[in-house]
Amino acid sequence: MTSGRARPPLTAWAFLAPYAVAVGLLIVLPALLNLGYAFTDHTGLTRDPQFVGLDNVRRMLSDGFLLDSVQASAIHLALAVPLRLLAAVGLGLLLAAPRPGGRWFRVAVYLPTVVPDVALAVLFLWVLNPLYGPLNQLLGLFGHPGFTWLSDPGTARVAVALMLVFPIGEGFLVVLAARRLLDGRLYEAAALEGCGPFGQLRRLTLPMLAPVLLLLAVRDTILTLQVNFVPAYVLTDGRPANATLYLPVYIFDQAFEFSSFAYGALITSVLMVVTAVVITALLLVVRRWRVLR
Amino acid sequence: MGNRGAIRLESLTRSYGRVVALDDVDLEVRAGEMITLVGPSGSGKSTILRLIAGLDRPDQGRIVVDGQDVVRVPPHRRAVAMVFQDYALYPHLTVLGNLLFGLRVRRVRRAEAERRARAAADRLGIADLLDRYPDQTSGGQRQRIALARALLREPTVYLLDEPLASLDAPLRFATRADLLALHRELGTTTIHVTHDQAEAMTLGDRVAVLDRGRVRQIGPPQQVYDEPADTFVAGFLGSPPMNLVPGGGVLGGAAGLILGVRPEDLELDTDGPIEATVEAAEALGSETILLTRCPDGTRLTVRTGPRPGVRPGEGVRLRPDPGRLHRFDAETGRRR
Repeated sequence: MTSGRARPPLTAWAFLAPYAVAVGLLIVLPALLNLGYAFTDHTGLTRDPQFVGLDNVRRMLSDGFLLDSVQASAIHLALAVPLRLLAAVGLGLLLAAPRPGGRWFRVAVYLPTVVPDVALAVLFLWVLNPLYGPLNQLLGLFGHPGFTWLSDPGTARVAVALMLVFPIGEGFLVVLAARRLLDGRLYEAAALEGCGPFGQLRRLTLPMLAPVLLLLAVRDTILTLQVNFVPAYVLTDGRPANATLYLPVYIFDQAFEFSSFAYGALITSVLMVVTAVVITALLLVVRRWRVLR
Repeated sequence: MGNRGAIRLESLTRSYGRVVALDDVDLEVRAGEMITLVGPSGSGKSTILRLIAGLDRPDQGRIVVDGQDVVRVPPHRRAVAMVFQDYALYPHLTVLGNLLFGLRVRRVRRAEAERRARAAADRLGIADLLDRYPDQTSGGQRQRIALARALLREPTVYLLDEPLASLDAPLRFATRADLLALHRELGTTTIHVTHDQAEAMTLGDRVAVLDRGRVRQIGPPQQVYDEPADTFVAGFLGSPPMNLVPGGGVLGGAAGLILGVRPEDLELDTDGPIEATVEAAEALGSETILLTRCPDGTRLTVRTGPRPGVRPGEGVRLRPDPGRLHRFDAETGRRR
């Protein structure tokens, strides 16, 4: 060694190469192409897209449906992320301690995650059916007449969020594992100081899990904004009154159903910007809370 | 403070499934005393601490602190503070945050809590660490932080669970003296658990030797060392352990007895009555440990001065100190 800073050897780069090539070909290149297509008249059907300058941007600025779509996505984000996090963290902490039968509960919590998106959505078409669906029957037990879940904008938004509370297996597992890594003696020390279960949750568990929780929140934000396409497409297809016309659904409609591939490409870039803004805001808030060292 | 913190354990029993951790233990700790519980792992010494702290409940028996049975009293209402083996410092809080934790839980006002925390930190010489996180401090500093945290509880009893086990040897030696000085200064009842017999001998007014959930002997360390109550205590306290010869053998025939002699009570003497061959010699600098074997197969360990001038394979003659022979019943192992 002659200089202070060692250079990674060539073999290291060689091992990284396949991954780098894949990222370049499958992610970076398509993303750049996508950005390029956003300024053309490409329909997705023809081979010779023409450059049209800011035509698509002008169209976007006067697109009422896009506004509906952004609104639907924002409301969905505000509903689904907290609900999913609460479910994953709550169940993860509840089922982390070894207790009789615990493993069956853990399996039960994870199981919906294994169910394919389409199957889950079809299942929920039945659960939410206003005439014979179990959810309305359950409400009926309490004397409530029930909802026409998927035909009212408000309840349709809740319904999709409700459905997405079930596939939380990964987050649940992460919380479970993280909680089990915490030293039991810390809890004994806290108990000696008079710190009860709620105090332990507030003063020990949540602060110590903060980095994990932040990671889950970021991941779930991305997931909720971008990957909820399949269930929403099957369940409501953007209806009623555009209440569930989430950005991915609208992008799919534009790019592949209305032959506006270029316009879809532009909104995809918008979705990416929206995601980045939300996550930056999240990180800034967390930094102000000073929960991370 | 001097007359508070008297503890009496009465027929304390605790089992975990089939494992009996504590079997009908009686133990009396005087107010202001420092007592050491020593024993191999699984002997029940940590269980006693956890029961006194209230982290666990006995199946049977009473724990009487200052005349009051505390078995049903929750941990934080018992005036005990515990220092855990690995200190159990909260990793997400600074040292100051760690010290403030209990005070804040007990709703002490912020300014007052901080004043007390700083005073405790000053006392233990960790005042300059308050803004650090536990993982930015050394093992010895962590131990002081844990002690300061215990100090802030203003307990009538301190429970120390292997407080020196995670320190390296030189630091352990210095910290042992610090712990003694702190105890002398505070005068608070302290129960100290260890598996290290050097600590058992040096820390504590009395030592209780435990084995498989029972107290085998309790007394001042030197007395327990000089007059072990049974073969277990004889073999456990002292390093290397006491030579125990069933039937007396080379130490002089004694039917129905086990004779014991400590390695330092065997002397190299050319006129000695015991003939043996040196199998190995461990030179420890200030002393040498000779492992010898007698013609009848009995192995005897001898502690002798540095440079004894014998080598493995050589024959030696040994003379036991007749006044320091220990006699134990061969059946029960009890001292006779």
